[in-house]
Amino acid sequence: MNEFKEARENYDATPIPEELDQRVQAGIRQGRKNHRGRYVRRTLGTAAACFVVVLGALNLSPAVAAAAADIPVLGGLFQVLTVRDFTDADSDRTVEVEQPAVTGSDYADAVSARIQEKVDEKIAEGEQLIADYKEAYFATGGTEEGWAQHDNKVTVTYDIKSQTDTTVSFVVSSAVSIANAYQEQTYYNLDLAAGRELTLQDLLGADWVNICNAAIRAQMAAAEDPTVYFDESAGGFATVDEATSFYINESGNPVVVFPPYTVAIGALGTVEFEIV
Amino acid sequence: MSHIRESELTAYLVEDQARFYRLAYSYLHNREEALDAVQTAVCKALEKQDGLRDAGAIRTWFTRILVNVCMDQLRQRKRVTLVPPEALDTGSYEDPLPEDGSLARRVDALPPEVASIVKLRFYEDLSLKEISQIVDCPLSTVKTRLYTGLKKLRIAVEGEV
Repeated sequence: MNEFKEARENYDATPIPEELDQRVQAGIRQGRKNHRGRYVRRTLGTAAACFVVVLGALNLSPAVAAAAADIPVLGGLFQVLTVRDFTDADSDRTVEVEQPAVTGSDYADAVSARIQEKVDEKIAEGEQLIADYKEAYFATGGTEEGWAQHDNKVTVTYDIKSQTDTTVSFVVSSAVSIANAYQEQTYYNLDLAAGRELTLQDLLGADWVNICNAAIRAQMAAAEDPTVYFDESAGGFATVDEATSFYINESGNPVVVFPPYTVAIGALGTVEFEIV
Repeated sequence: MSHIRESELTAYLVEDQARFYRLAYSYLHNREEALDAVQTAVCKALEKQDGLRDAGAIRTWFTRILVNVCMDQLRQRKRVTLVPPEALDTGSYEDPLPEDGSLARRVDALPPEVASIVKLRFYEDLSLKEISQIVDCPLSTVKTRLYTGLKKLRIAVEGEV
């Protein structure tokens, strides 16, 4: 066994690269994000299931309807509900869809049709990506056994950010599990009474561009580590415009949203700034 | 049995990182691949943290994840050999290897399933029972492989290992 002592000493003397700690930290960040993502999705699913039950009960009994009158999602004439909720799995991929629709007016129906179109497009796109990936996987010598270990997924979910009697703000998210780059978020801020989409100008007034830019710059500068945000000269944040995504939070404030990698390092994921 | 908190898990992973790297390196003998393997295993551990029911089993549980990542990498390497190893400039990528004929060399020359068990037993001081959980094989298989390995290494086994 003495020979093993030497081998063991050799083993213990393996030089440890300096960047090991960074790599472990990166693994932790990455894994934590994936873990949390799954948790959130599951909770949302449960919440949506609860809404379905509540909606069902409302139709049955006026007493339940009265008791539920202060459920925010059901305020006023308009409703946001899940119109499609399914999981479709085969050996190549799983498609999980939870699709919202707005009801209560012609405009609401038109928006719902747009959502439907978008969701269908995202599912088709995701399935195509997975099919291409499969082809490439086998073309480069992948085995059936190895392919079976892949858990490819196309997911579409939504999250209601806030709602009043006449307005609603929600986000529809789609993702393909092959890579983070296929995550996409579409925000809907609707004034259902007026039958139109709300803009940052509606919420902040004529000076909305300056108000947003000042608030965003201030928040970036106040961050624990401001260097996580890219410099303007390096393609970082320059200004908000009509195309900037946002939602309206429970306090009624707009929250401006930037996709991962656009204004900050990828590790931050989607970056949000509340404009108070 | 107590369920592990995320903070305990990350503390363990940060604390024992050198051990993980050594083990990964003993499988892959390549600095970059070993770093990748550790990162991937750490990421998987966080993703699958709900699967760890017993905080006391954390070492076995994580070693299993790490060993699986390394074995996958070895299998993949068998499929894709882009550059013959001798064409690589080993000086800059490989840390010094023990000289020819040393026991460490001979351990590495064993079939991977056998080498894996020998390493876990003698380098990592894990019990045969723990090893059987890590490599997901019955205890009897672990024993057989260990003795096959030792026989090939021509090492006399004194008593129970």
